[in-house]
Parts: sequence; C-alpha cells; structure tokens
Amino acid sequence: MKEKRVRYFDYSLLFIVIFLVCFGLMMLYSTSSYNGQLKFHDAAYYLKKQLFATSLGLLAMFIVSKIDYHVWKSFWLLAYIAGFGMCVLVLLVADEKKGSKRWLEIGGMSFQPSELAKLAIIIFLAVIISKMPAKMGKLSTIVKVVGMTLPMVGIVAVENLSTAIIILGIAIALIFVASPKYMQFIVLGGVVVSVGAVFILTASYRMERLKIWLEPEKHEKGYQTLQGLYAIGSGGLFGKGLGASMQKLGFVPEAQNDMIFSIICEELGLFGAICVILMFLLLIWRFMVIANNAQDLYGALIVTGIMAHISIQVILNIAVVTNSIPNTGISLPFISYGGTSVLFLLSEMGLALSVSRGIRFDMEE
Amino acid sequence: MQRNKTYNRKKILLIFAAILLVLLFLGGRLVYLMIFCSEYYGQKAETLHERERDIKAARGKIIDATGTVLATNRTVCTISVIHSQLEDQEKVIEVLCRELGLSEETVRKRVEKVSAIERVKSNVDKETGDKIRSYNLAGVKVDEDYKRYYPYDSLASKVLGFTGGDNQGIIGLEVKYEEYLKGTNGKILTLTDARGVEIENAGERRAEPIDGNNLHISLDYNIQMYAQQAATKVMEAKEADSVSVIVMNPQNGEIMAMVNVPEFNLNDPFTLNTVSGPEEGTEGTEDPAGETEGQEAGETAAMTEEKKQELLNQMWRNQCINDTYEPGSTFKIITASAAMEQKVVSLNDSFYCPGYKMVEDRRIRCHKIAGHGAEDFTQGIMNSCNPVFIELGLRLGIDNMYQYFSQFGLLSKTHIDLPGEAATIMHKKENMGQVELATVSFGQSFQITPIQLATTVSSLINGGNRITPHFGVAIKDNQGNLVEELQYETQEGIVSSETSETLRMLLEKVVSEGSGKRAYIEGFSIGGKTATSQTLPRSAHRYISSFVGFSPAEDPQVLALVIINNPQGVYYGGTIAAPVVQEIFSNILPYLGIERTVQPETMEEEGA
Repeated sequence: MKEKRVRYFDYSLLFIVIFLVCFGLMMLYSTSSYNGQLKFHDAAYYLKKQLFATSLGLLAMFIVSKIDYHVWKSFWLLAYIAGFGMCVLVLLVADEKKGSKRWLEIGGMSFQPSELAKLAIIIFLAVIISKMPAKMGKLSTIVKVVGMTLPMVGIVAVENLSTAIIILGIAIALIFVASPKYMQFIVLGGVVVSVGAVFILTASYRMERLKIWLEPEKHEKGYQTLQGLYAIGSGGLFGKGLGASMQKLGFVPEAQNDMIFSIICEELGLFGAICVILMFLLLIWRFMVIANNAQDLYGALIVTGIMAHISIQVILNIAVVTNSIPNTGISLPFISYGGTSVLFLLSEMGLALSVSRGIRFDMEE
Repeated sequence: MQRNKTYNRKKILLIFAAILLVLLFLGGRLVYLMIFCSEYYGQKAETLHERERDIKAARGKIIDATGTVLATNRTVCTISVIHSQLEDQEKVIEVLCRELGLSEETVRKRVEKVSAIERVKSNVDKETGDKIRSYNLAGVKVDEDYKRYYPYDSLASKVLGFTGGDNQGIIGLEVKYEEYLKGTNGKILTLTDARGVEIENAGERRAEPIDGNNLHISLDYNIQMYAQQAATKVMEAKEADSVSVIVMNPQNGEIMAMVNVPEFNLNDPFTLNTVSGPEEGTEGTEDPAGETEGQEAGETAAMTEEKKQELLNQMWRNQCINDTYEPGSTFKIITASAAMEQKVVSLNDSFYCPGYKMVEDRRIRCHKIAGHGAEDFTQGIMNSCNPVFIELGLRLGIDNMYQYFSQFGLLSKTHIDLPGEAATIMHKKENMGQVELATVSFGQSFQITPIQLATTVSSLINGGNRITPHFGVAIKDNQGNLVEELQYETQEGIVSSETSETLRMLLEKVVSEGSGKRAYIEGFSIGGKTATSQTLPRSAHRYISSFVGFSPAEDPQVLALVIINNPQGVYYGGTIAAPVVQEIFSNILPYLGIERTVQPETMEEEGA
C-alpha cells in the first residue's frame, strides 16, 4: 500500500498562508508605525517584534509539517494539562496589562497562554473523539466531551471571554462533525443561545455593550467602534491607498490590534477588504478539502478544529469591526499584532500541512 | 485507525457552507458600510481630522492727502511651545529667557506645562521672532501676526480710531471703513492626528488671504499738525478743558483736519491721558440734558473698572461729531441767510439796539449791555448784535425758521463718514413760542454738533450746495489701483447764490471790520463769525468760545471752525478763538496755494 502512495502536499494552503502572513506584516507596519514612533520612537518597533515571532512561527510550521501528526496523539493529556496549567499560572503570576492578566513573561518575551489553550483543545478533542467515534451519536458522550472541555473554557474565560468562546466553538464544531446526528445540535444550539442571553442580561456592563452596539454614536464608550466605522466608511471603493489611513493616527486606538481590519478597509477600500475575506475563504476551503480527504478521522478532526478556530476568529473579528455584533476583543488571524497568536497559528498550519501529507490519492476518490 | 466517514465529510461541508454564508453576510455588510455609508462616515472622519487655521489678512492702510501713511501694520510674533514636540527643554527655556527677556521662572512654567500648545509671549518684535526661529528648536513655534500701528501716535486719534484684539476697528475711520480695510482672512486646512499634531506633507489645502484695501482720506498731515499745534497752544494758554478744530473744504466737504485736543495715543489706547488736569473728560456740560456728571476723575487711585471704561469712552469721544453744543453767535450766519433768503431783511434795514429786546414778557439782553444803538443790518452782523437777530427771527416766524432749519439740513445728520454722529437737539415745533424763536435766532436754546455747524456754514457760503463732510476719498489696493471712488451726496440750492454771495461779503466785513478782526491776516480776504456761548447750567459760568472762518472770502477754499471749551479768564470768541483761526490760516493758506490779494482798504486795529 505504501508503495502506491503518491506524496501529496497542499502547496495552495502554504501559498495562502505565506501570502496572508506577508500581507499581515505589511498592514501591521502600516498601522503600527505611528504608535511605534510615538511610544517607542521606532516606527518599526511592532514590525520587528512581529517579524521575530513570525520567523519562529514559520520555523515551527516547517518542523511540524515534517512530523507525522499521529505523533501528537500521545500528547493529548499533556497538551490539555499544559494549556490548563499555563492559564492557571497566568492568573497567579502575571502582572496586569491593560487591565487584564493575559501574558506570561518568559525570558523577556511575553507569551499568551490562551493561544496555547486553543491548540491544546484541538489536539485533545481530536484524539478523544477519534478514539470513540461510534459513541459520538449518544447525548451522554457529547455531554461528557463538553464536560471535559468546560474547565479549559472556564479558566480562559476568567480573563479572556472571547478566547473562551472560540474554544467552546472549536469543541462544538468537532463534536458536530464527529456525530452522525443533527437534532442534538439544534437543541445544543438553543441551549447555548439561551444561556448566552441570560449571561448577557445578568451583567449590566454587557447590557451596556449591547446598547453601544446598537447606537455607537450616542455612547461615549462607542468611541472605538465609531472610529472603526469612520475608517471603514472613509475607505470607499478603492481606499485611500496603502499607508494613507488617517484613522490609524491615534483615532482608532491601537490600530494594529483587533481593529486592524478597519484600517485595511480605509487604505485598500472595499476591493481590498473583499480580497482579504476571499483569501480567508480560500484558506478555509483548503482546510475543508484537507479535512475531507484526510487519512483518518483524527486528521480530519484536527483540520476541522483548525478550520473552526480560524473561521470563528475571522468572522467574529470582522463582525466586531463592522459593528455587526457587540464589541469583543478578537484578533484577525495572521494580520493583527500578536506574537503568540501568529506563532501558534503557524504551528497549526504546520499541523494542517502535515495532515495534507497523509492524503493518499489511491484512496476512495 | 478510524476512517473518515461520509457523514463526517457532509458535516465539514455543512460547516464550510455556514462559514461561507456568514462571510457573505459580512461582505454585504462591508458593501453597505463602504458604499452606502461611505459619504456619511467619510465626512465625519474628515471633520475629525481637519483643523482649520486662519491666515490673517493684512489690514489696509489709511493714507492721507499727502500720501503720508497714518495707520499701517507691524509684523509681530507669537511664541508658543508644543509640549509633546519638545526635545531639549532646558535649552528651550534658556533661549526663550534670553531672547524674550522673561524670568526663568515664567518661561519654565510655560515650557513644562503639559498642554497641547502653550503661548509663551505674544506681540514679540519680528526680529526677535526671527532670531528665535533661527535656533530651530523642536517644539517652539513662532507665528507671525499683524498688529495695527500708528506712526504718529496721537495724530488725529479720534478721527482715525484704533483696532481691537482681532484687528477689528473699534472707533473712528477704522470702524467706519472696516469692510474695506479688513480684507479676507485666508485659511489653511491641515490634517492632524488624534493628538492634534499637524501632519506634514498631508497636502494641506490653502486659501490665500486677501489683504485689505487702503483708505485714502482727505485729511492732510501738515494741516492737521498745524491745527493740532494751534489747538494745544490755546488749550494750555487758556487752561481750557478741550479744544476742537475742524478744517474743511467748503466746496466739496473734504475735511483737511479734525483736531480734538487732548488727543490720545493710538498705539496705547487703553491708557488714560489724564495728565492735563483733574477735570479731564468731564464734558457733561455739553450734554443735551445739561447734566453734570460727578467730577471724580481726581480719585483715579480708587478707580473701578467701570469707571475706567467710562473715562476711556470719554477720552475716545470725537467732540466734533459725538457731542452737541449751543453754537451761539456763529449761528447768526444761518439766521441771516434765512432772513435774506426769505427777503425779510435787506442790507440797509436799520435797527436800534438799546442793549436788550423785549419778547413777550421777557427781556433778552444783548451781549453789549449799553447797546449798540442805531445800526444797519451789516453793522448788526459785524457787532453780532442779539436784538438785530431776534428781530430777524421774529420777522421769519416759527414756521419759516423751522422750514429753513430743515432746508439747510440742520434737522438731519451731516452723514459724515465717522461713527456716532449726534443729532441736532431742537425744540419741537409745537413747543416753540416767540421766546424760543428769539433765542434760537442767536444760536441758543438748541444744540448741534460742531461738524453740523461747519457743514451748514460751508453750504451757505459755497453758493448754496449742501455738501456731505467726509474724510474718505478713495479706496485703492496695495498696488495703487483704484478700487472705488467714494461718492457723497450734494444737495444743491439750499440758498440762492445771491444770498450766499451777500453772506460772504457780510462775513468778510465781520473779519475785516467787525468782531472777528483778530482772525484777519494781511493780504488775505477772510470771512468769519465769532461766538461766545455759555454752557448749561448757566450758573456754572462755563463758556465755549468759538470762531468759524473761511478764505478766500469771495470764493471760499478752506473753512476752519475752532471751539474752545471752558477757557479760563477772557472767554470771548473774538478774543481767543479768532486768533487760533488766524494762526492756522497764516500757516495753511500759503500751503494750500491761496494767493494773497491786494486789499484796497487796510483796516487799522481798533481797541478790543
């Protein structure tokens, strides 16, 4: 059988990833140079840090793509414990930055454990579920799997609700794919929605966010949202041109972070923004192709997890920036500033590429 | 090893489809935001980024008849620091201390203050500003600005007026011709970041300022100087409160000089000029109601803001225009004109002055208590005999007197091109009885402004054309191109040319043979009329001496009115005001090119 295997490698995926990474670095420099100059007297300050993390990430991607993804099967428990442990650690030892404890200082570099948690949960669930595919139809199994995920979701949610939502989303996507049934998920969806509604309505500050979302111009705290909308609106069809954004000059606070998409809209216009969305769509499409053709369920689940991760972040980010949903802090994969994020994202890409290597043409189709 | 089942693939496809759907929705949302809301949000963003900065337009100059610039601009600088752009604070402090001559403490406070932009000093000389700019200090901003400057300080201060903080005219010609002088400010539209710092090379939009046009006026620097010197001299000699002089061209109304001493320094208009006496600025006696304001000017130490403002307003008053007074005997020119025009008197009519005249039950005195005795009309004018003019008034009657007031333009304003002209205060026609008519006939019991008197007399002696007194002649741009020739109304035929001619002859006699002989200058034919009026209340024994003269008497080219307010000692107009006109005329008649005519008869000086 091995002799017949045609070695496959998803170059399209690799190309899209590299394109996105390069595009991300370019936009990062465009958006961060003002803030960098202002705070650190170095316009390339953010770019340099991101470049470092990206190099590290590309190296990780290369290595991971070479390693057979089945190797990670034995690390499922370790991954979970490591992710969970780090998240606990960050709560205990980290200094507060911008009002929340999200970063661990390791050898002069900051590290965001919640990013690790996302990768950990993907591997953990892929391994767990692929061990008991037959039981996935049962409600009890689903509850069990969700139950195993919840501690991780909880610990992350203490400081970073948005990431917790992503983790929960990844878990639901994996369970959904593994299960042959549909009805349960409609019920589950209903439960999540109603719990979410209660969750929002019970805390006044969340209600406030809801009001800001509906009428950003009437609330002082709607400033960021509104500035994002100004940026998007002033972009028009073809944008002001690369580097010509006005809103990044302190109007959109920390433009290189979560709001970076609004600056892309301003500089590159609707055309550029749609292109970015199309690039992500292509990426997600590649994940779907890899997942569908994966050697085994384990591989398919890993790629599905990655696909869920990327798409949830892209969707939530763009939805927030366009004020389609209330404001919540989610970064745009590959483009927003964040070293840990890009490092783990590229590792995930390595994983997906590794899965793509396992595809055999002589199978099924 | 667990195989990938079909339902797994189906579900993955389902997830992909869901993602696609959501992304499509978001794409739609983007289309909505970036195409349909683009204008709305783009506009809002733009107003957020744009800062509008004015570029001041240079205010037009005021230039006199000789081409002398009386009001111009000086470039001054404003030095400010932008805290966020400062690099070397200590050096900035050191340089600013040295160049601006400020204490280190003051400068340090300004420099170290965390603010967007902090003004360190304004109204700094251009040279100092340039010097500071040459240091190229980061965070130090030198802005140039225009400041109004009057090269001759107090010359014609109450005529020219001055400008306020925004370079806008406050009084005088500066405010009257504001529209011409001010120009149009330019604008720079710059883009700034969120801190308000301008972005360089952001393609600023610029609207260039349009400088104000120059105002050319008929005022003549030399005549104004002569008049001011003469006025100051008599004010000091007679310890008068104030002296006003108007010199104008009776043919067209162009004013050559308008003096109101004490003048004030236009470059420092907010400092009181109360050096010439504690009673400065109490012109209350000239007020229509005759109210006497409290004379508290001596208590300057305890002066309140309000009081100071009141005194400043008083100081800025142009008495020739803003205040009215009882003209007294100079008004007899008008009564005589009316009577001659109405033909109720001829030159040979004879009168008898016993020193008074009874009107109804009142006995109205002549200034000569012994009486002038028998006299004809010509002698009546030369003697300035009250009973003669009372008789003329009574002959005219109230209706005619009122009619001539109106016909001569005395009931309306002169419409001189200066702000705040006071209106004539006259009896209502229905309230006028014979006594009022009698007093009006020799210039009492009603009030007019000095400019009104000068204008009316001008109009009567120039052949009967009611002219509009004015300063403004033309508006020109900086290159000297005519922008607008200023036009003024002339009403012709307010008296017949015969009456005007007779009047000139009579007034010439007043100077050559009568009460105005102290205005006489050898070789020139001068007409004129004296006046001495008592201000209200009569019990205060305050007087106004005045004289109105013109030359040449046959074809008047220049008319001068001198009013001395509250002189001490001798207060007769013929004695103290006529010599002032004489002094002014002896200087300016040759200057104006009016030639000496050989007088056939040379008058011997008679005793005063």
